[in-house]
Amino acid sequence: MTEKWRLLLTGANTAARNMAIDRAVLVSNSNGKVPPTVRFYSWKPFAISIGYFQSLEEEVDLGICKDLGIDYVRRITGGGAVFHEDELTYSIVIPESHKEISKNIMESYGHICGAIIKGLKNIGIKSEYKPINDIITSGKKISGNAQTRKMKTVLQHGTILKDVNVDKMFSVLRVPNEKIKDKLISDVKDRVTSVKHVLNKDVTFNQISNAMKKGFEEEFNIKLVKGKLTREEEELSLKFDKECFSAKNWNHKR
Amino acid sequence: MQSKSIYKIPDGKLLKISLIYDKKNRTIDKISIMGDFFAYPEESIELLENELINTKLDEDSLFNKINTIIKKNNIEFIGLNPKGLTTAIMMCLK
Repeated sequence: MTEKWRLLLTGANTAARNMAIDRAVLVSNSNGKVPPTVRFYSWKPFAISIGYFQSLEEEVDLGICKDLGIDYVRRITGGGAVFHEDELTYSIVIPESHKEISKNIMESYGHICGAIIKGLKNIGIKSEYKPINDIITSGKKISGNAQTRKMKTVLQHGTILKDVNVDKMFSVLRVPNEKIKDKLISDVKDRVTSVKHVLNKDVTFNQISNAMKKGFEEEFNIKLVKGKLTREEEELSLKFDKECFSAKNWNHKR
Repeated sequence: MQSKSIYKIPDGKLLKISLIYDKKNRTIDKISIMGDFFAYPEESIELLENELINTKLDEDSLFNKINTIIKKNNIEFIGLNPKGLTTAIMMCLK
């Protein structure tokens, strides 16, 4: 019988709330209260997320963020700084012991990215997994991904770029050497692409979300059933939002 | 003494080290290991930073100490490795 997983469509939220929901689902799944869960979401206001090991002040110009109304948050996953603007963000939460999850972290990245690759194929984009944590199409990055394993549970989240504005991205991201900033921007423009750019047309969030839903179902041979956060997850997410992801001592930890 | 380094690990991620060290004894007073790498569990980086305090700043001592801590605590790095970490820390002295 086909296994049923939960699908959450939580819409657009603040950076802190988005990261709080992912963490709440992780805890809830770890306690055996909810099935493996896939979530699709976006960010309002637009936001920068930084990796667990990054320093907020080193990576992000907080003054410009404030001027432009751009939100920021530190993730519980490693990886780099991401500017979340016109994109679909996904997360998957699943027990480490699940038969679909390899003990080998790189293998599990590849498998989960396989769902995104199938999703992209469903909207007409051929892509491939590029270790460590990227998905590329015609040599250019279209998706970045990050995984953590806590409480015997895997959380992987990542982005699928709908459209990308590299100049805006670099107005808020700090670069190690200002002298080479222009070169860096042109390099990134050469290395990064988006759904809109590849297909030469606008594709809506819902179209990408439907394609990704199918992608996950195909890759894991499961059925995704639309669900909601449980009351406990709601409560946990409010707690994590307030005490962790909105808190200065978390975001400025490093 | 305070120093910083930025080092791109070959086939890996960008590592940023912030180091405060005792110049006379060449030992670590405080170290921050930052970057876009992955480490499992994540909290192991803080443990590594704490355990490296007072470590001699020479390549062999650092490399051996880092390896010992990794093995003892079952730490898994992705996009980072003991050799790259040692190189980045030593770069702070140049």
